[in-house]
Amino acid sequence: MARKLKQIAIYGKGGIGKSTTTSNISAALAEAGYKVMQFGADPKADSTNTLRGGEYIPSVLDLLAERRRVDAYEAIFEGFGGIYCVEAGGPQPGVGCAGRGIITAVELLKQQRVFEELNIDIVIYDVLGDVVCGGFAVPVREGIAEHVFTVSSSDFMAIYAANNLFRGIERFSNSGGALLGGIIANSINTEFQREIIDDFAARTDTPIVQYVPRSLTVTQAELSGRTTIEAAPQSAQADVYRQLAKRIADHTESKVPTPLNPQQLREWSARWADHLVAAERAEAERSREIA
Amino acid sequence: MAILALKSRPTEITPDADKSGPIELVRYVCAIGAMQSAAAIPRVVPITHCGPGCADKQYMNLAFYNGFQGSGYGGGPVVPSTNASQREVIFGGADRLRELIESSQTVLDADLFVVLTGCIPDLVGDDVGSVVRDFQKKGVPIVYAETGGFRGNNFTGHEAVTRAIIEQYLGPWDGVREQGLVNLWSLLPYQNTFWRGDLEEIKRLLESIGLKVNVLFGPDSAGLSEWRDIPRAQFNLVLSPWLGLATAKLLEERYDQPFLHLPVLPIGARQSGEFLRQVAAFAGLPAEPVEQVIVREETRYYNYIDGFTDFYSEYWWGLPARFAVIGDSAYNLALTKFLVTQLGLIPAKQIVTEDPPVEHRDSIREQFRAIDHDVSVEIDFIEDSYLIHDAIRKADFGHKPPIIFGTTWERDLVKEMKGSLIEVGFPASYEVVLSRSYVGYRGALSLLERIYSTVVSHSA
Ligand SMILES: Nc1ncnc2c1ncn2[C@@H]1O[C@H](COP(=O)(O)OP(=O)(O)O)[C@@H](O)[C@H]1O
Ligand code: SF4
Ligand SMILES: [Mg+2]
Repeated sequence: MARKLKQIAIYGKGGIGKSTTTSNISAALAEAGYKVMQFGADPKADSTNTLRGGEYIPSVLDLLAERRRVDAYEAIFEGFGGIYCVEAGGPQPGVGCAGRGIITAVELLKQQRVFEELNIDIVIYDVLGDVVCGGFAVPVREGIAEHVFTVSSSDFMAIYAANNLFRGIERFSNSGGALLGGIIANSINTEFQREIIDDFAARTDTPIVQYVPRSLTVTQAELSGRTTIEAAPQSAQADVYRQLAKRIADHTESKVPTPLNPQQLREWSARWADHLVAAERAEAERSREIA
Repeated sequence: MAILALKSRPTEITPDADKSGPIELVRYVCAIGAMQSAAAIPRVVPITHCGPGCADKQYMNLAFYNGFQGSGYGGGPVVPSTNASQREVIFGGADRLRELIESSQTVLDADLFVVLTGCIPDLVGDDVGSVVRDFQKKGVPIVYAETGGFRGNNFTGHEAVTRAIIEQYLGPWDGVREQGLVNLWSLLPYQNTFWRGDLEEIKRLLESIGLKVNVLFGPDSAGLSEWRDIPRAQFNLVLSPWLGLATAKLLEERYDQPFLHLPVLPIGARQSGEFLRQVAAFAGLPAEPVEQVIVREETRYYNYIDGFTDFYSEYWWGLPARFAVIGDSAYNLALTKFLVTQLGLIPAKQIVTEDPPVEHRDSIREQFRAIDHDVSVEIDFIEDSYLIHDAIRKADFGHKPPIIFGTTWERDLVKEMKGSLIEVGFPASYEVVLSRSYVGYRGALSLLERIYSTVVSHSA
């Protein structure tokens, strides 16, 4: 039976938890019986580390730096649960064009039809989400991925990157580009953090797919070179990721987001900053009263 | 540092932004075309860091299908290139360039290498400066200019190359000025089909009044020794509407060297005499010997003109009365001046095609408005040949067939209008041009021969 390939892209600002989240989604999907490929599209090339015992794999661009023609299979490595791991990689910092590198790596796999040959159900692209140039928009453009999710905390910089991504999606939406599936709210532990991210989601008319708490289990798993799914399968955190993975696997309807314009975004964040200051002042007052 | 100032585009300052866009039948090339400016200096070899085809395209356009001028010592097919491709885009092309410079040194015998970048390294952000500086530190005569096509055309590229040599090769100077030595900044080599013969004639004129000339480009230049001599010169002479002004200003800043700007290239006796008097006055030369030179030149010139008047007044099958010029501002202005003031022809349409930087446009317009005491010409700046031809068709040429001074692109148009075409600019693909000149006293005579041979053979 020819299966329909589902391609998902996960964007977010650097260090926000894209790779951690993506690897746990991949692991949970593999556990549920899907054939998964995880494609790291970040010059850091560490997207798939926790799927391979903490080990780095050579990237497509590492191979391309050595010779002109590369067989895509040389860049595909199997990880936890039979997940196919690929890293696009990038040039040395400060030289060359990382965006073009991503485009080239994506094209290489597409041209050589590996998704079809490997009978893959789901490809997840883990993309550096500041969408700094055209190269990083490639998974969104030209219908390579169908659904885009963004990992964001309640941190203003992360929300800024998410909003930028929304603007990119909006731009390509009427030329066959990917649409937005929703926000994966990461490191949400307090009510206040939740209010902020909820408000942003409401303002941009975007669903929140899952709240993922910040958890030591994740850190411990990472230290052992594994995903939470692999290292702590019984943990509550693993169940959070399983639930997220199921939602993504079942997800069918994405839509065009309504991003804030720069002025709106500034006003929005200023308002929340005021709230934050007021809340902290109240907190300080309270502790003084107690003392 | 050879960073090209990003030039403001005319379309950015007019609301009519639709005027930019695709261009039909081009009349200049991209900035890396200035590789031919480097090659125009004897024993200088350009090295291009660009994609495949960039360098070849410039050479074929500028030096081949434009008077079939040929590549010169280090230009055209000699030019080494990194041939940058996907690998250089992704990983940067600095290493490839370093390798190319190293091997060029062993294979090619050059007094100076000029590295020119194309779009690929300029977009990717290759640090070409640091690669070239490493060689400079080792004493290799080499400079670099950033000339990616998006930065401008070969005119601005030429200025970038000139600036690069001055800033990176010449170094500071505090010697004694040589009175009577002049640096000439004039026509754009190769783009102007007749630049070699023209520079020779200008040099001859300047020398005839006792000046020594650093002509800097072309077969009449001594090469790099002239460039090293630039700071020693008494002054810079910018002989063109705008090209070279930036260089003169740079030299003024750097070496406190004065400059004289004469927008009109002299064609014919009247303009050439005026030219010599203006230069002599600026250089502080005594008037008398200069007048003697002018008399001598005019005697010869009018001797020939005398014979020509028989033809000019008696050729009753009809000579054209109205003319149009489509070309770079330098030749356009020079020709219009000559044809109006010396032959009494009527200007019907003058179109300036090299996309001069916005800040120079008003002064170019003013020059045309002052063509003669009683003739003022309104020019158009157009680059697209469809629009150019449209404007020519709509121009009023009276009842006689028009004479058009233009390029090979005007062939079909002029046939359609049953007029005569004199190919005077890029691209001139039906002219073989060696040392022919159209400026000064001698060039004017060749120009007359060319114009009227074309006219009388029209019906043959
Ligand atoms: N929910 C979480 N709980 C605990 N630590 C997390 C969580 N999400 C991310 N991290 C940690 O944050 C750091 C950055 O995450 P990573 O996935 O590498 O970010 P990105 O891929 O976005 O650059 C890692 O050390 C990771 O373990
Ligand atoms: S515009 Fe750029 S790519 Fe085209 S020829 Fe010029 S340097 Fe090369
Ligand atoms: Mg990552």
